[in-house]
Amino acid sequence: MRPFALSYARPAVKSAAATPYTYDATRQLNVLPDGRPATSSRAVLLATGTTASTAGSKTHFDD
Amino acid sequence: MTVLVLTCEEDLTADMVVATLNDRGVPLVRLDPADLPGRIDLSADYGGNGFHGYLKTDERMVSLGSLRSVWVRRPGTPGTRAAEPSAWLTLESEQALYGMLTATQARWMNHPAAAGQARYKPWQLHIAQQSGFTVPATLITSFPSVARQFAATHQDLVVKSVSGRHPGDPPMVLPTTRISPDADFSAVAAGPTLFQQHIRKQADIRLTCVDGQLFAARKEADPDEVDSRFTENAAWKPADVPDLIRRSVTAYMTTAQLAYGAFDFAEDRNGTWWFLECNQGGQFGFIQLDTDQPIAQAIATWLAADPLT
Repeated sequence: MRPFALSYARPAVKSAAATPYTYDATRQLNVLPDGRPATSSRAVLLATGTTASTAGSKTHFDD
Repeated sequence: MTVLVLTCEEDLTADMVVATLNDRGVPLVRLDPADLPGRIDLSADYGGNGFHGYLKTDERMVSLGSLRSVWVRRPGTPGTRAAEPSAWLTLESEQALYGMLTATQARWMNHPAAAGQARYKPWQLHIAQQSGFTVPATLITSFPSVARQFAATHQDLVVKSVSGRHPGDPPMVLPTTRISPDADFSAVAAGPTLFQQHIRKQADIRLTCVDGQLFAARKEADPDEVDSRFTENAAWKPADVPDLIRRSVTAYMTTAQLAYGAFDFAEDRNGTWWFLECNQGGQFGFIQLDTDQPIAQAIATWLAADPLT
């Protein structure tokens, strides 16, 4: 029998947004192609949703 | 003295704090435990009266004795990116890494033992009650008949995951969902299920606590909306924290022994904040983006403070 709560689960929607940044091991943070920290761009943060309350849901359970 | 940040590379929220620490000239090492073994090496020897150890990444090496704080953000599971991963290797790696780190004098945000306890939602509800929060009527049961009775009593209710984790194979999401009191509850026997009285809210409240500093944010909500994480809606705005809530947060954080916690509340039309949960590792980037509240800066300040003596 399927657990009750799973009756209300729905497929996860995969984000279509590309991540326009890469991890810089020397600086220990993600950077944009022009070398600026990714967090310096509010547009990037909003577009990628990586800071959102569901950002950790795929691999963690502390949203 | 060095700050150790345990998180995955793609964690932009961690970047917000790392950038602040960099600006302040605070030494830090960032690594993902998933890279142990492989890109991370460690060693500790226990001779004489103490132990000496170090961690090494591709770029850096840090002595365990020089750690001032450890920030557990979004760490991967140790051993999972090894050439030949296994459950045994994960256990060995996890025990070695966290066993060494918890033996240091570093301060933790949050300590693994406290974090593990704080993740249990049933425990959260209990501590919330003890701390003086207003908590919605909640039932966790595997008895269909008890679930039916709870539904008959409360009529308007929601179901949510006990663990907070979404089903994974295939990838699914399980939002908090409103259910009919006339639902067929027989499947409750197939697994413990969490039911809760539905609070018709006029706003969501996210309160982020950083070692006693409170950052509350409020977002207006449709009273029929249940889980605002999965809907597009209004922006978060800074909010004042009622004194009663402030005292309860302090009590909760003290009991839970947490340095960081992100509380979720539903504000009803009377202005009452109903406790929903406290995420010991909850996200804060989305709040800071909307409100400009300096949460990352507060975390950086806490991490940069002197270690325990």
